[in-house]
Amino acid sequence: MNLKEKIEKHLLEVQKPSRYIGGEVGSVIKDKSKVDVRFAFCFPDTYDIGMSHIGMKILYSLTNERENYWCERCFAPGTDFEEIMRKNDIPLYALESLDPIKEFDFIGFTMQYELSYTTVLNMLDLAGIPIFAKDRTDELTQIVVAGGPCVCNPEPLADFFDIFILGEGEEVNLELMDLYLDMKRQGASRLDFLRRAARIEGIYVPQFYEFSYKSDGTIEKMTVRENAPATVKKRIIKDFDKVYYPENFVVPFTEIVHDRVSVEVLRGCIRGCRFCQAGFIYRPFREKKPDTIYNETKCLCENTGYDEVSLASLSTSDHSEIDGMLTKLIDYTAGERINLSLPSLRVDNFSESLLEKIKKVRKSGLTFAAEGGTQRLRDVINKNVSEEEIMNTCRIAFQGGYSSVKLYFMMGLPTETDDDIIGIAELAQRILDLFYSIEDRPKGRSPQISVSCATFVPKPFTPFQFEPQDTREEIERKQKLLLDSVKSKKIRVSYHDPDVSQLEAVLAKGDRRLCSVIYSAWKKGCKFDSWSEHFKFGTWLEAFEECGVDPAFYANRRLAFDEILPWDHLDYLVSKEFFIRENKTAHKSVTTPNCRLRCSGCGVNKAVGRECFCYD
Amino acid sequence: MLRLRAVFEKSGRAKYISHLDLNRCMLRVFRRSKLPVWYTEGFNPHPYYSFALALSLGFESSCEIMDFNINDDEMTLEEIRDRLNAVMPEGMRIISVAEQVKKITAIAKAEYSFSLVSEDVTGVYDAVKGILDESEILIEKKTKKGVKTVDIRPDLELVSCEITENSVDMAIRLPAGTQTNFNPTLFMEALKNYCNIPFEARKIRRTGILCENNEKFS
Repeated sequence: MNLKEKIEKHLLEVQKPSRYIGGEVGSVIKDKSKVDVRFAFCFPDTYDIGMSHIGMKILYSLTNERENYWCERCFAPGTDFEEIMRKNDIPLYALESLDPIKEFDFIGFTMQYELSYTTVLNMLDLAGIPIFAKDRTDELTQIVVAGGPCVCNPEPLADFFDIFILGEGEEVNLELMDLYLDMKRQGASRLDFLRRAARIEGIYVPQFYEFSYKSDGTIEKMTVRENAPATVKKRIIKDFDKVYYPENFVVPFTEIVHDRVSVEVLRGCIRGCRFCQAGFIYRPFREKKPDTIYNETKCLCENTGYDEVSLASLSTSDHSEIDGMLTKLIDYTAGERINLSLPSLRVDNFSESLLEKIKKVRKSGLTFAAEGGTQRLRDVINKNVSEEEIMNTCRIAFQGGYSSVKLYFMMGLPTETDDDIIGIAELAQRILDLFYSIEDRPKGRSPQISVSCATFVPKPFTPFQFEPQDTREEIERKQKLLLDSVKSKKIRVSYHDPDVSQLEAVLAKGDRRLCSVIYSAWKKGCKFDSWSEHFKFGTWLEAFEECGVDPAFYANRRLAFDEILPWDHLDYLVSKEFFIRENKTAHKSVTTPNCRLRCSGCGVNKAVGRECFCYD
Repeated sequence: MLRLRAVFEKSGRAKYISHLDLNRCMLRVFRRSKLPVWYTEGFNPHPYYSFALALSLGFESSCEIMDFNINDDEMTLEEIRDRLNAVMPEGMRIISVAEQVKKITAIAKAEYSFSLVSEDVTGVYDAVKGILDESEILIEKKTKKGVKTVDIRPDLELVSCEITENSVDMAIRLPAGTQTNFNPTLFMEALKNYCNIPFEARKIRRTGILCENNEKFS
């Protein structure tokens, strides 16, 4: 029985079987006898989540443009199908060829979230690929690589991967595959290849780097072997307007989380919110021209048949030509009966004319990320949004017919006091009062203010990387304080599980000593940690205990400015000096203007050899 | 406006597309084809199309029916068929497009073919003969109101039954349409209870949608 027959024999026993058999419109099938390098693009979560990921769509199409390279998709099976796979010896396979991924040249994971680490191990195990890099063959095959935002500190995963790809993959992925093909033809070994790969900018081969630790647990020094570079610099695309963008997406049969066309409008962020990793690791700020965005939108809608398109970016309203771009896009989408959605709009530049445009395209609620409950705290985190701006935006929204507003906050932020928590409730109350004070408010509908409160997680490559996270007890106390401070039933409060946030902090800021913890947690049955129904914090604590690792050392300790950090040898183009400076400024409650107003000297302009903006 | 009826095939990997997903899938097929399909005129306009019968997940079919309207009287039926086929997913193919003749309510039965694979084919074959000789075949059918016992014997028509080396290949007709719908798996369950011989049903395929007089619905 071949693998396809084996899969099909059991497919009707599982939930949503179309996730496991491929054949979707837009999927790329090649003749494998004419293919030189095969790449399994693995997403460490289920199909429904992974298929929504825009980075996979880009790199999938880009690789497949090369006739002799074949990129296929692979996702984590749901627990029902995993059980069947294990029972019936079905190895993890790719959706296009239905071939086992262990036969591939590259097995590439995208690391989007810390809580997917155990799922990576589970997928390697399901695939029949040795989990530890040191246990893999000496031959040149089965190279396990990872990219994505989490690899800015890949140390907790260092033992499991052969290569980490830092930064944007559009160029470096192909360079890596070209080198592989070249060396494969020469009959090179795995080690030969890794040595050469380490010389490509953006390629980090963790086994060439060794760490020693001081008695207090901090890093003593890092040693480099095999002539690998002492610092590895992330890759960026210089001309973002001309960067490859797919003309087609794989269109799934089953509904996925983001079931629509997404078009990337800009990369990077000018804002510099001090808690936000994405705001720093994707610098410099680059945008696409409105014509490019329009052409990509039209082409993808026509080829996929989707009737919904979403603009992807960290802050769409920061596009320098937002009004012209939206006018042009709405003209097209309205005519073709396509819904246009605009996530990531900012409060401070939310104009009436922009609202008018959004109103034409969607009627759902509005979401604002205020992040802090008081102006003092918003200044600390450099969320340059004033209460006046928030109120003003809400007024425009209410007058424009909206009656529900969703507000995002964080708790546990550096310097936070109880006043800041109470401030969240008070701000929500003032917005509610504002609604009732407006003469031409929407009639006959009850207002709804949703307050969603996440727990602050300190992350590498942010000014707050040095900050300790609040303990679980402290977070729980603050959550209760917030609930007690809310006086109206029209204000609904939701918050995150503090255990999840602590684990996130540990894995985000961890070093190589976390590898054994992750392995042990997986061995004990942890996987899909980001799914509340699968999250087993007790098991994680057992794993920490067993490995002699204290999670508080990573999550709840303030790091010294002169400490060697696990990610210090990785260069994301923003300097550590800048982060230290910004951290000190934060503690003085002083804000830093956005990049368009003034350059704050983060270092990225020096790294790319040009100014990010023209300053007159 | 042309009121059209397409007959389409759903086979291979496409059999894993659920009925709900098929709706979404066809919406995108229409959009990709850029055919001037007629949109509903309600609060939320969407292309109008409807399927005559739902097909169970995992079943193949060579006779699925979908009605839709085209805002163009000049277009040939072949052109419409070809433009849809150019953008269909793997395993789905429009066999024909024609003007609607009968009302959907004229559908009375559907024909299915399948293979019952077993180690003991003779046993299964004899059991099929035996169960069809019974005056009633009672099965428990889950309905919205709860489980109820129904007799499928009066409405079950045997079309063919052949024995091969490792399977019993059958074709049967069962009621389908707006009144009563019997799924062929009901028959298989009844057979399992009747004979206690392990078998596996494979290659279940709807091969015909028929009117009361066994005439092909069109």
